[in-house]
Amino acid sequence: MQGILNVISLDVAPFILSFKLAGVTTVILFVLSLPLAWYLSQSSSKTKPVLEAVTALPIVLPPSVLGFYILVVLSPNSAVGAFFEDLFGVKLVFSFTGLVVASCFYSLPFMVQPLQSGFESLNKHMLEASYLAGKSKLQTVFKVALPNIKPSLITALIITFAHTVGEFGVVLMVGGSIPGETKVASVAIYEMVEVMEYGTAHIYSAFMVLISFIVLLSVYIFNHSQRKIGVL
Amino acid sequence: MIQIDIHKRLHGAHGDMDLDVSLEIQKGEFIALMGESGSGKTTLLRVLAGLENAEGDISVEDVLWLGDQKTLPPQQREIGFIFQDYALFEHMNVEENLLFVNQDRSLAQRLLEMTELSRLSQRNVKGLSGGQKQRVSLCRAMMKQPKLLLMDEPLSALDPAMRTKLQDEILKLHKTFGITTIMVSHDTDASYQLADRIWVLDHGKIIADGRPEEILVKSTKEVYTLCK
Amino acid sequence: MRQVNMKKIVLGLVLSLATLSAGEIKIAVAANVSYAIEPLKKAFNVLYPKTNIEVILGSSGKLTAQIKNGAPYELFMSANMKYPEVLYKEGIAVTRPVVYAQGALAYVSVKAQDFTQGLRLLTEGKIKKIAIANPKTAPYGVAAVEALKNAKMYDAVKEKFVYGESISQTVTYAMTAADIGFIAKSSLFSPQMAHFKEGIHWSDVDETLYTPINQGMVILKKAEGRPEVKAFYDFMLSAKAQEILKNFGYEVE
Repeated sequence: MQGILNVISLDVAPFILSFKLAGVTTVILFVLSLPLAWYLSQSSSKTKPVLEAVTALPIVLPPSVLGFYILVVLSPNSAVGAFFEDLFGVKLVFSFTGLVVASCFYSLPFMVQPLQSGFESLNKHMLEASYLAGKSKLQTVFKVALPNIKPSLITALIITFAHTVGEFGVVLMVGGSIPGETKVASVAIYEMVEVMEYGTAHIYSAFMVLISFIVLLSVYIFNHSQRKIGVL
Repeated sequence: MIQIDIHKRLHGAHGDMDLDVSLEIQKGEFIALMGESGSGKTTLLRVLAGLENAEGDISVEDVLWLGDQKTLPPQQREIGFIFQDYALFEHMNVEENLLFVNQDRSLAQRLLEMTELSRLSQRNVKGLSGGQKQRVSLCRAMMKQPKLLLMDEPLSALDPAMRTKLQDEILKLHKTFGITTIMVSHDTDASYQLADRIWVLDHGKIIADGRPEEILVKSTKEVYTLCK
Repeated sequence: MRQVNMKKIVLGLVLSLATLSAGEIKIAVAANVSYAIEPLKKAFNVLYPKTNIEVILGSSGKLTAQIKNGAPYELFMSANMKYPEVLYKEGIAVTRPVVYAQGALAYVSVKAQDFTQGLRLLTEGKIKKIAIANPKTAPYGVAAVEALKNAKMYDAVKEKFVYGESISQTVTYAMTAADIGFIAKSSLFSPQMAHFKEGIHWSDVDETLYTPINQGMVILKKAEGRPEVKAFYDFMLSAKAQEILKNFGYEVE
């Protein structure tokens, strides 16, 4: 009985925050990554390896390093942070906005790389046929390129979303664990464990696993059905 | 009339080579471009389409496509291009592939009828055979109502029966619309049947330019010697 | 207040010296002691050069959770008495908790502030973010909340809190993005903080505002009576260690 009561009085704020953060980050990253991924796929310039290495950095860097640098560079005591706060009134640390910025850095390669890969695997002649049909590069990206990389697109969106839901080290550094604003599920669960409230930690964790599994399952089922139709 | 005077340095598998072509084409001519692999045929086509850069001049009916000051992008050249691998838009059906170029439904229907593709118009292009894909590609190129039609070995991936059929359709379309055409081909038969004029490209330079009867002698031996 | 029996200490030290073999000991240390632990280790090694001390730092709450789940620590220096007492009650700690130091709370800012107004400073508009250690896991966070409540400032400023997972993360926040932070006074005596001046960058929190932070120490079951561990335990209670702790702002006997 007590267990059920506990569930009912469960504080859902951390979950909502986690999924909200993941959703917002995924959308923003998609908009930002699309031009970058396209450029990398079409370019053969000498600076390309440099750009690719920089894009891939967040995969390799420990989240605490990333979090630390973001904390220092975006803090209101630094030039960048002060600029944003004075001009736009936007706080880049200890706020949801700050988490979004941090998450965009953290998950960047997970959006860029599948998209870039997808674009690179496209038949170049098909893209040229689009140009010859009078379509600009922008129109070609949206009308020809993207529709033909649906699996890569879905992968990019889902992996970015999932990666952001699981984000911990960066959020811990940059968020300040403020309930309702930066205390995402991963941090809340960590805290439960730290104070030995194992019961609640189990409930939170199970919930996260369940939701994440359902999301991923739906996506893979969708992917599979599209393949059957022959659209993918 | 189309005037071509271009120069481009090519880096090939067998070393560097200069592509130097200076020619005139009369409106409505059908030209077969022949020569060894690696002689620069595809590159010439791509330069004309604006898909690759070159130095020099290209003017098409008094419109400058390539010159000292400007290079017209492929989007603005009135070109139809048929790729060797068809390059259809795989997420669309036959009709949509045509309408992507030009929304003119009646023109699309007419072209599909002429190439006997009408009953396939709603079929997704991924499920089509090679011959059918090439015909779609042909129609799609024609939708542009181009000033210049470029074909890069349109028949080479087809079996002999299909090859003959497509040849006939190319001929039919050319007779109906009269579009200036350059076709790259290894197929001497097709070249003889379709072309008003044959250019032979060797190491980037035109070494022969004349009527099919002049260039392609009926003797099998000489044909093979010239166009191996 | 703890009992000091000099005779016992001296006897213990002598015996330990006699039976000591070269060894390594693992000690779990609350984050606030991280600044003093190096000098403490050095002083210990002067007496026992062959004993290697491996220090595991963390918030007291996290360390306790780890210990309860079988972490291989042999000694625990907490930031409060509660956690060691829990461990003693459950038989995981084999000695009754003793106070090895009394922690002091201070508040610090990278920018010069007017500390003459005391905690009232926190209500000013220019103080937008206040870093405190998470009161759920860090005793210094508990003390900070208690002090603010007693000063009747808590409700006015609680919207400005950002929570550090441990007192050391709180220091990081105070040094980077927060406007001011409640930290362990001991951190101010580390060399990196030497340029912060009392009265300009930091001030003590009035000690009448919070319950004294008695920091407790226990030997853990995993030590299995190893003499090196006992040696370090006794050392921490000796005059030499107490002197070092005093230099780091702790209150000692």
